[in-house]
Amino acid sequence: MGLGLMGLESMGRGPMGQGPMGTLQGPPFAHLHVASAFSLRYGTAFPGALVRRAAEQGADTLALTDRDGLYGVIKHVRACHERGVRPIAGVDLALGAGPPTAGGSTPLAAEGPFPGGSSGGGPFPGDGLFPAPGRRAVRRTPGEPARVVVLARADGWAALCRLVTAAHAAGERGEPYVTPGMIAEHATGPDGGPRLTVLLGPRSGFGRAVAERRDDQARALLAAWRAVLPDLVVEVSDLYGYRDANVAARMVGLADSMGVPVVLTNAVRYLDAADHQVGNVLDAARKLVPLDGRHIDDPTAHAYLKDGAEMARVAARICGGDPGRAGRLLAETRRVAERCVLDPVEIVPMLEPERPRLHLPEVGEDPIPRLRRRCEEGLARRGLDRSAEARDRLAAELGIIERKRLSGYFTAVVGITDMIRAMGVRCAIRGSGAGSLVNYLIGVGEVNPLEHGLLMERFLSEGRPGLPDIDLDVESARRLDCYRAILGRFGEDRVACVSMMETYRARSAIRDVGAAMGLPPHEIDVIAKAFPQVRARQIRAALSDLPELRDSGLNDRSLQAVFRLAERLDGLPRHIALHPCGVLIGNSTLRDRTPVERSLLEFPMSQFDKDDVEDAGLLKLDVLGVRMQSALAYAIQEVERVEGRRIDLEAVPRDDRDTYDMIRLSRTIGCFQIESPGQRELVAKLEPRTMHDLIVDISLFRPGPVNSDMVTPYLETRHGFREARYPHESLREALRETNGVVVFHEQVMKVIDVMTGAGLAEADRARRALGTPEGREAVRAWFVPLAREKGYASDVVEQAWRVLDAFGGFGFCKAHAAAFALPTYQSAWLKRHHTAAFLAGVLTHDPGMYPSRVILDEARQCGVDVLPLDVNHSGKTWLVERTEPVRDGAGGFGDGYGLRVPFSVVRGVSEAEVDRMVAGRPYTSLADFWERARPSRPVAERIVEVGGFDALHGLRPGEPRWRPGRLTRRDLIAQVGALDRGATGAAGQLPMGFTERVAPGELPEMTEAEAVEAELAILGMDVSHHVMDFYHDLLDALGVTRAADLLRQRNGAEILVAGVKVATQTPAVRSGQRVIFTTLDDSTGPIDLTFFESVQAHTAATVFGSWLLAARGVVRRTGIRAVSLRAVHCWNLADLDHVWRTRGLDAVRAVLAEVPVPGAGVGGRPIEYGNGFRVSPYSDNGAPPAAREGRLPGHPGEPQRRLWHASSGSSGPPPGR
Amino acid sequence: MSRLYGDPIEVWVRDGQPVQFVWRDRLYTVREIQDHWVVAREWWKTSDADPGERRFWRVGAAAGKEVGTYELRFDTASDGWLLLRAWD
Repeated sequence: MGLGLMGLESMGRGPMGQGPMGTLQGPPFAHLHVASAFSLRYGTAFPGALVRRAAEQGADTLALTDRDGLYGVIKHVRACHERGVRPIAGVDLALGAGPPTAGGSTPLAAEGPFPGGSSGGGPFPGDGLFPAPGRRAVRRTPGEPARVVVLARADGWAALCRLVTAAHAAGERGEPYVTPGMIAEHATGPDGGPRLTVLLGPRSGFGRAVAERRDDQARALLAAWRAVLPDLVVEVSDLYGYRDANVAARMVGLADSMGVPVVLTNAVRYLDAADHQVGNVLDAARKLVPLDGRHIDDPTAHAYLKDGAEMARVAARICGGDPGRAGRLLAETRRVAERCVLDPVEIVPMLEPERPRLHLPEVGEDPIPRLRRRCEEGLARRGLDRSAEARDRLAAELGIIERKRLSGYFTAVVGITDMIRAMGVRCAIRGSGAGSLVNYLIGVGEVNPLEHGLLMERFLSEGRPGLPDIDLDVESARRLDCYRAILGRFGEDRVACVSMMETYRARSAIRDVGAAMGLPPHEIDVIAKAFPQVRARQIRAALSDLPELRDSGLNDRSLQAVFRLAERLDGLPRHIALHPCGVLIGNSTLRDRTPVERSLLEFPMSQFDKDDVEDAGLLKLDVLGVRMQSALAYAIQEVERVEGRRIDLEAVPRDDRDTYDMIRLSRTIGCFQIESPGQRELVAKLEPRTMHDLIVDISLFRPGPVNSDMVTPYLETRHGFREARYPHESLREALRETNGVVVFHEQVMKVIDVMTGAGLAEADRARRALGTPEGREAVRAWFVPLAREKGYASDVVEQAWRVLDAFGGFGFCKAHAAAFALPTYQSAWLKRHHTAAFLAGVLTHDPGMYPSRVILDEARQCGVDVLPLDVNHSGKTWLVERTEPVRDGAGGFGDGYGLRVPFSVVRGVSEAEVDRMVAGRPYTSLADFWERARPSRPVAERIVEVGGFDALHGLRPGEPRWRPGRLTRRDLIAQVGALDRGATGAAGQLPMGFTERVAPGELPEMTEAEAVEAELAILGMDVSHHVMDFYHDLLDALGVTRAADLLRQRNGAEILVAGVKVATQTPAVRSGQRVIFTTLDDSTGPIDLTFFESVQAHTAATVFGSWLLAARGVVRRTGIRAVSLRAVHCWNLADLDHVWRTRGLDAVRAVLAEVPVPGAGVGGRPIEYGNGFRVSPYSDNGAPPAAREGRLPGHPGEPQRRLWHASSGSSGPPPGR
Repeated sequence: MSRLYGDPIEVWVRDGQPVQFVWRDRLYTVREIQDHWVVAREWWKTSDADPGERRFWRVGAAAGKEVGTYELRFDTASDGWLLLRAWD
C-alpha cells in the first residue's frame, strides 16, 4: 500500500521543528492515552512533568491513563488545575479470560489475554540489518495480555474507581484484569447514561487481529464490543515502528466500515524520546528478563508526548494522504476528549480549601452534642471541672471543631481508641494532636496540654488548610489486629488503608538494571550492598566522592552503563506498599472516591498515597505500630508472670529519682528515643530530672537544633554558666521554659503572637512559612512592621527576628515531644526497676537501633544473667528467670534475674517448630526431643551446637577437647544425623531411640571460641562469652585502653582502643562534612569514635567493612562523664590477631606504626539549607528509616544476622571481601 | 523476488526524506514513498551511550523508465545510508 509523499520529515528523535504541516488550524490536540511513572515499571515521566509539557505545547486537555490503576490521578488533576489544563482520567487495563458474558460464548472470548491465532511470526527483528520482510510482525511479546483503555466520562469518576477496584478484586495481587462483561457492568450509570468510554487500541484483541490480518475475527470482536458498551471508540497510533502506520490505516478502514468512531493517540510513555532507554530497562525489569529485542514493548523512541503539529503528521501518515480523513480523525479525538473532561474540584476537593467537600464518617447520631457530652464527662474525670482555664480552652476548641464540621471525626476517633484499649492494646497519641484539650478530655491522649503549654493552633485552627491529623501509636505486634477491628467496626466499604509508592533508590535501581543487563545475581547483590542508602541519581557521584567506594573496584568501565541507567531510574515508583499507619475512614461513598486494591496481607488499600488522600477530602487516622509499645506491654506481662503483680504503667509516678539517675549516667541503651550514642552524650550533659527536661531533650536532639547550635546556649544557661537572655521582657513568658532559647514550634508561635498581636492561628501560618527562604522573606516583611507598630524598639525586633530566622523551619513540635517523652520515661522506669523484664521486651520486639547482641551485653552490664538456650527452659520468646543474686557488689540493678535465649532466635527455625518445641517440654533426651518436637535436621543440629542440650546431657564446651567416654556436643550432632537417617529409612525400622547409639566421646568437644562462633552464626549474638574475651591477650600485649578506663585518660592523649562494632552513623552535622560516628564495645563499656573526612581516605572501607575494629584516636572530653575519641587510624582487629598469631607481636606493632598514604577525602557538594546550614549529601538525611544493614561477612550462601547498627548513610561491605 | 545488498549509497534528502540516490553508479529518482519506519538500536549491546536509531524507507524509484522498489536505511549514529534490498 502506498503511504504517499506526505509529512515524512518527522522521524526525528525529539520534538522536531516546524515542518510544512506544523502550522495547525483548529483546536489543540488532546492526548487520551498517557502512561506516567505511576504505571509501575512501565512509565517514565511524572504527571506534573507531563502536564507542564502539555501546557507548554498549548494543549488545553490531557488524560492520564496509567496501567492497572489510578495511582497518579490526584497528582494529575492537581497539576492540571495549576496549569489551566482540563483533566481526563482513565486506566489502561489488561483483559483477562474470565467467564464468558451472558449468552454463552461470544466473539469477545477472543479478547482474552492471549488471543487465538498466535502471531507465529515471533518477535520483530529489532536491530538486524535486514528486517524480515514477509513475516507478520506483531511486535508485542506474546506473553503480554491484551489491553484496553477506559476513560471516565464527565460524570464517570465513580464508575471508573469502581471498575478499577473490581479489576483488582478479580485478578491476582499485582495482576488485575477486566473482562468485557465487567466493563459493561460499570459503563452505564443507574440513569441509563454512559459513564465510561472504552478505547480499543493496537494492544487490544481487536488491534492484534487486525495486525495479524484476521479481519473477520477483528470485525466480529468490534461488533461484540459495540453490542455491550454504550461508548466505544477505536484507538489508532503510529509509533513509526515496522508496519505501524499500515496496521493503523487498516484499523481505520475496518472501523469506518462498521461506523465506529476512531481516535488518534500516541500511547505515550515518555516525556522525551530520550527516555526510551529507561523504558527498555523497565520492560526488562517488569518481565524479569534480560534486555533483548524480543522483550522490548516499543522498538522505537516515538511514544513521547508529541505536540499538535507532530500528531497532525502522524494522522496524515495513517490516513495515507487523505487530508479529509486525517482531519476527521483529529476532530473525533477532540470530541471524545470533550465528553471526558472532569471537574477537578469534584475529585480533589482540597483545590477549594475554603469550603472543602469532605467525606466524613457516619456516626449514627448528631455528633455535635455527642462530642460535647464526652468533653463534659472528661472535665470531671480529669479533675478539671472547676478550672476556668480548661473551660475557656474547651469552648474555644469546640468552636473551631464545630465550625469546621469535624465533631463526627473526633467522635469516630474516640470510638476507635476506646475499642483498641478495650482489646487490651496499649495506645498513645502522638504528634500535634496531643496539643488539643479535647483529645485529652475524651481520652484519646494522655498528656494534659495545659500542664505543658501545648497549643491547639499547632494542630487545628480556623485558617489552617487541610484536615487535622490524629496519630495513634499502638503496639506494633497488635497493629494489624487494630486494623481488623476498625474494618470490622465500620465495614470494608467505608474503610481502606492508605498506600505508598516505594521508589527506586541506588540499591534497588542497581538490582533491576543489573538484572536487565544480565549480570550474575550474586554480583548484583555485592555491588548493590556496597552502596549506602542514597538516591539512585547519586550513584556515580558516590563512587567518586566516597573513599570506601573509590577504591572498591566498582569504578570499572564495564559497570558504567549499569550505573548510568540506574541513575535514570531515580525516584520512579517501583511497587506499591501498605503505608505504615494511614487508615482511611469514610462513609458508604468511599469506593466512589478511591480505587481500592488488596495489600500483601489482604487489607483493602486505597491506590492513593497520604497526600492524595488528604487532597481527595478523605479523612485519615494514622495508626502506627510502635515496637516500643509492644516491648512495654511484653515487659509488664513478664513482670506479672514472674512476680505475680500487675504494673499500671500510666499510674507510675513521673518523678522517680532512680530512673532519672540512670538516665543521667547514660545507661539508656534500650530506652525509647534516648539510646543512640549522640543522645547518650546529650542526656549526660543535660541531666534531665523531670518530664519537661525529657521533652526538651527529645526536641533538642534533631538536626535543626543541633545545627543551629541551640544546644550549647541551652545547656550553659541550664547549668548556670550563663544568664538566660530574652530579646524583650514580654517574651520571658514564652521562652522561660527553655532559658530563652527557642526550641519548640509553640514558642515560635507565641513569640510571633506576642510581638504582632496577630493571634496564634496566624502565628502558626507564619511559622510554617519559615521553612523556605522565600517564606522567610515574606514573614520578615510582615513581622517587622507589625512589631514596630506594637511599639517594640527596632533593635528588639531585629534581635527577635534573628531568633526566628535561625530557628528556620527546624524546631520541634512540643506536643509531639511531650507525647514521645511519656513512653521514653516509661521505658526508662521499667529498665531501672524491672531490668530483665524490660530487656526481654526489647529483645523480643526489637524496638530500637541496636541489634540483639548489644542489648544482651547491656543486660550483662546491668547485672542480668544471660542464660543459654536450653530445650527444657527456653520458650517461644525471651523469658525472665529468677537467679541467684551476685553478692560481690559489682552487679547492677538487674541482679537476681536472668534472660533465657528463646527457640525463635535459632536461625532457620519455623514458627510451627517453635510451637512444637515449647509444647513438648520437658524432654528426657535428644532422641525424645527429635521424636516429639520434630525439628528439621539443620535446626536440631544448630540447637545442639549452641548448647541447647548442655544442661540435659551435662555438656560443657572448652578444654580438654578429647573426653573419652564422655558425651560431647559433636557426638550429639552425629546422633542427629543418625536419627535423621533412621527416620528416613525404610518402614519397619526399630522404634526411635534404638536406631543407633553414638559412642560418647568419639568426637572432640567444641572450644569456647568455636562455641561463640556458633552462637554468632546461629543466634546472631554471643551468649556464653563476650566476643572480645578472645582478644584480651592481644589487647593487653598492645597496651590497648579499655572503655572502663577512658574517663581516666587526659584530654588530647593519643591512645589505642579496640572492640566489636556496635553502630555506625553518618548524621547531618553543621560543617557539611560526612562524619562517621562509630561505637565500639570492648566488654567493659562503649567507646565512641569520630572519623572526620580527613582520615576517611584510609579508614572508611575498614570502618564500614569490618566487625571487629582496633583504632587509634585522640581523647576528647565532651562533658563530666563523657569522652569520645577523634579517630586517626583504624584496623580490622581480626586481621591484627591473625598477624599476631602467625608473625608475632613485633609484626603487629609494625602494622600499627605504618603511616597511612594520604588520600582524597569525601567529595560531593554539601546540601545547603536556606538558613545557611550545610550537610553532606551522604549524611543520614532523607533515607528510609527502616534501612538497616550490618551483617557478618564470611558465611556466603547463608542468611546473615545483623550484628551491628548501620545507619542509612553507611556503606555496606566492599565487594571482594 | 527481492535481493539483499547492503551497499553504502549516497542519498539526496529534501524535507527529511530521500528524493534521489546513487547506487552502483546509477542515479535513481524517488517516485513514491511506500513505507517508512524506525528502529531504535539495541543500545545495550554497544558501548555507546546513545547509538541512535535506524530509519528505513521503502521507495518506488527509477534510474530510467523502469520503476523498481528499493529499501534504504539511514543510521543516525554513523550518519550513513545503505541500500538494503531491491525488488526489480
